[in-house]
Amino acid sequence: MAGKIVADTLEHSTAGSIATNYVVEGSAKVWTTFNGQSATITTTDSFNESSLTDTGTGRYAVNFTNNMGNTGYAITGALGSSDASYGAGWFNTGNAHSSFGHTVSNTTSSHRISQAHAVTSGNIDYTDVHSVVHGDLA
Amino acid sequence: MQTPKFQGTHLFDRLCWAKENLDGVQSDYRVVYEDSIDECAKILVPDPNWMACALQGGILPPVWVYWELAKDEAQPDFKKHTRGYLLHETEPMPAMTEEEAIEYLIQKDVPQHVWQNWDEGNRPKMVICRKEQLPQTREWRNAWRISDDLELAA
Repeated sequence: MAGKIVADTLEHSTAGSIATNYVVEGSAKVWTTFNGQSATITTTDSFNESSLTDTGTGRYAVNFTNNMGNTGYAITGALGSSDASYGAGWFNTGNAHSSFGHTVSNTTSSHRISQAHAVTSGNIDYTDVHSVVHGDLA
Repeated sequence: MQTPKFQGTHLFDRLCWAKENLDGVQSDYRVVYEDSIDECAKILVPDPNWMACALQGGILPPVWVYWELAKDEAQPDFKKHTRGYLLHETEPMPAMTEEEAIEYLIQKDVPQHVWQNWDEGNRPKMVICRKEQLPQTREWRNAWRISDDLELAA
């Protein structure tokens, strides 16, 4: 690829230096934002996502284009709604657990999301769903 | 825009190029499938940036690469991928039509036992449709099933 720079360290003129593996290791490898409340869920924007799977009320899977290297990656999520009646919610992600609505574990090619109302604990669709994955790529 | 010669370039770098240079393509196609009799129908929604890569060509690896990685992951002693190079070093797919891209995506992101036997049994387990053909609200979402009286296209 044109413009390739190979370097192990980046050095600022006054603020010190940082090893480039901090950048490689620390960058998000997958991210997505989508509307989970529209009749058919729709990705707003994303990176390294091949598709979303709508698996039920408040339950989704994010499928990756470039697999992760293992299943020990970290997932950060947030959710929101312009409807105040939705209140606080839980963003659950992880391995198979029926109370989260998951029957399939995370793999190197996809991770699950389950959203639940913080008070009722029932699965619920939020309009704004955000997910970020950090970890090693395959 | 011409895709750079990407064979041997890390797939993640190719996706960075695509994100910078291609506009996302929102597909109207949806894939509805049932992979368990105890669960509601699932709906696969193509990602717009991925679809742009598929239509552009020269970016995505062949789908068999994902099958190979899935085989590795299914091994009981799997810890981490050691054949990730398949994603990066295999010659990328040429440009696809939207319909070809959906077929590819089915073979990548729908469970194999569904798409390999989608029309065996009493009724289809998988249907490709346009989003307008799905219910227009998510009411009773957990009860959605594929209709028994589908008219299958040839």
